[in-house]
Amino acid sequence: MLKDVFAWLKTIMKKPDKYADLKLFPVFNECSSFELYLLSNFLHKRTYQAGEILYDKGYPLEVIYFVLSGEIEVTGPTHPQGCYVIGKNQVLGLIDMFSEETRSSSAKAITDVTTYVISRFDLLDLAKQNPHLGVKLLYAFCQTLSNYILTISAIKAKIE
Amino acid sequence: MNWTKLIFYLLLFAIFILAVVFYHSIIYYLVYALIFSYILDPFVNWLEYHHFPSWLAVITIYLIIAGIIAWFTSRLVPALVQQGNNLFNILASGEQLNGQYIITLPFISRIYEFLVELDTKIPGLGIAPKMIEILDQTNVFLAKIPKLLIDNYKRIFSTISIIATVPLMSFFILKDKYKLRKGILSLFNNRYFELCIIMFRKIDSTIGNFFRAILFEIIAVGILASTALTIVGVPNSVLIGATAGVANIIPYFGPFLGGALAVATVLINGSSILYAIYVIIAMYIVQLIDNNIVYPVVVGGTIKMHPLLVLLTLIAGGWYGGILWMLISVPLVYITYNLIKVLYVNLKDFKII
Repeated sequence: MLKDVFAWLKTIMKKPDKYADLKLFPVFNECSSFELYLLSNFLHKRTYQAGEILYDKGYPLEVIYFVLSGEIEVTGPTHPQGCYVIGKNQVLGLIDMFSEETRSSSAKAITDVTTYVISRFDLLDLAKQNPHLGVKLLYAFCQTLSNYILTISAIKAKIE
Repeated sequence: MNWTKLIFYLLLFAIFILAVVFYHSIIYYLVYALIFSYILDPFVNWLEYHHFPSWLAVITIYLIIAGIIAWFTSRLVPALVQQGNNLFNILASGEQLNGQYIITLPFISRIYEFLVELDTKIPGLGIAPKMIEILDQTNVFLAKIPKLLIDNYKRIFSTISIIATVPLMSFFILKDKYKLRKGILSLFNNRYFELCIIMFRKIDSTIGNFFRAILFEIIAVGILASTALTIVGVPNSVLIGATAGVANIIPYFGPFLGGALAVATVLINGSSILYAIYVIIAMYIVQLIDNNIVYPVVVGGTIKMHPLLVLLTLIAGGWYGGILWMLISVPLVYITYNLIKVLYVNLKDFKII
């Protein structure tokens, strides 16, 4: 009985996890609450209506997107079919992030979209200032990019 | 046109204007607080990355600064006050520093003798008495300086209130900087959002780095000049060194101001012209170290502005707000120019214009 009351009190006292929505992203899986707090300082929540353009080819590349809900169509040379869809808990802008100064593709919201947006320079600064977090993030980005390469290789093989 | 939207924006604009009118007297404070925050930001960030809550990080930095100021005050201020009093005594003693006295100083006396010779060669020229008259008038003005300080007590109190208010405002700016940034960026729609992030980053890096670098340079040049002048044996070297450090902010002309003050002090004290040359060489060495080591390392490049534009900006700054604006006008124009350039390039890249 006392144990149940204690458990009940614990559920009441427990604060909701501020970073629950961030933890759903595979790239942030390994991050601690403190690291997510540091990251959240630079994140901006933005909403886009269906049909709205997030960015166009040739635009300056400043931010990357973490999709919280909705779907985005990406058109550009980084996919063998020239066009692919990014959905919930996926990252947009990661491929160009390390190599380009301008966007190599265009992105348009298919449905209403909610995203977290972060400047790539803020993200890289954060990684430099906090090497432990930096290693985790860069490892997670490598994993994501590796998965992407494997997926598009499979699609390419299928097409051929 | 949606009338409801238009009326809403007009209302918003009216409230904005009212807010500007209401808060206009503290805008200066806000600017000072922002500059102060930019200077402290990296230190607060460093503590935040080491698990300090933001409020504690800011308080810790404040305590460290208070400690440093207390240490310097106990060590340096007595010397500065002593030297300041010496200078004021010289300036205030009208009898001692009148035209007749000044022309007896070694360097000035030679100029005076030359002018007397000219007067004898060209009858009716009367340039030597004119020189004494000008020196007398200058002396009357200089003698008023201590009185000016007393008369301007209101300004002095206002400065004290700035000193008290600015750290408080900076505390909240530093503590809630991310919330402030997010709040400002949330006002912009998606079309301009990425552009605004770029502008924010540029402002952060340009202004923040610039002010931090300038502060470091003032301290470095101040210490170097004080040391060099002490070695040469100039009286009031700490005060002159500190003045030279602050004046050094002004590109091209600032270094001359520091040097001129040092030379003038030496000549007023009745030293020989050779001694003044030693002072010039000492200040030149300080400038060499500043230009070749301090400035390239800390500022990362000189302010690339045409000397004529610098001169015009200095004059305009002086007319607008006196010595303070002379000091800040050149960096201000340089930063504004750079930001407008970045804004223009990005507006084009984002196909907004």
